Amino acid sequence: MDIVENLAEWQTQFNKTWLQNYKETGEVNWRLYKRPRNTQSPSTPGIDLAQSKLMLISTAGGYLPASQPAFDAENDLGDYSIRTFASDTPASEIAFAHTHYDHAAVDADSQSLLPLQHLQDMVQAGQIGALSDVVSYSGYMPDVAQIVNETAPAIVAAAKAAGVQGALLVPA
Amino acid sequence: MGLIARALEMEGIATTLTCWAKQIRLTAAPRVTLTQLPRGMTLGTPNDAAQQRRVLAATLALLAQDSPLELIQLDEEEGSWR
Repeated sequence: MDIVENLAEWQTQFNKTWLQNYKETGEVNWRLYKRPRNTQSPSTPGIDLAQSKLMLISTAGGYLPASQPAFDAENDLGDYSIRTFASDTPASEIAFAHTHYDHAAVDADSQSLLPLQHLQDMVQAGQIGALSDVVSYSGYMPDVAQIVNETAPAIVAAAKAAGVQGALLVPA
Repeated sequence: MGLIARALEMEGIATTLTCWAKQIRLTAAPRVTLTQLPRGMTLGTPNDAAQQRRVLAATLALLAQDSPLELIQLDEEEGSWR
């Protein structure tokens, strides 16, 4: 099982088309972009959430401006780094660096995209055993090989270090 | 994001994901709910805590089952808020 089936083939095609065009013109052309396609899903046993530690993983570009650098949201080639912050971080301390979605909803109510309070409430109610730190990244990432080789290992390492049994993934 | 779910599952960590993009199917992520909500409000309409909690509960409920599961379509869409 691989994260991306036929990654080498995908990368060759990406390099020859989308990336080559970008290097030559400085323009992003999504008509040249081909999404990877997987045919097989991985398998894990179900878990008892009430007895488990859960990690929220968000692509909304959330970061702590007081202590962390912003994501490079203006980079046409993407930013593949991650940030982590405590799950009880007040919403007022989180900013969002991501230029590929409308921030109106998250600005009006951060729970619509980063449900920290809802998850805390579920812990208090005994529905979730515990929460780990949040893993956050900016989800504009055209180079799938960099996701596989940089972002995914960093997130897996964070999840293992935190000792989580489950993860909730929320794209922006 | 489905690719991150796969990476975690391959290390034995159960994952679940909620999304508005049909293209998520291409990643073959193991547990997914798909809504009709727009990009930028993945959990629900701003200030509609009940809807946000419904999406969250339906998505987290998938963790109780062995993966992979068939994608679950949720009948949730943007309400009035602007």
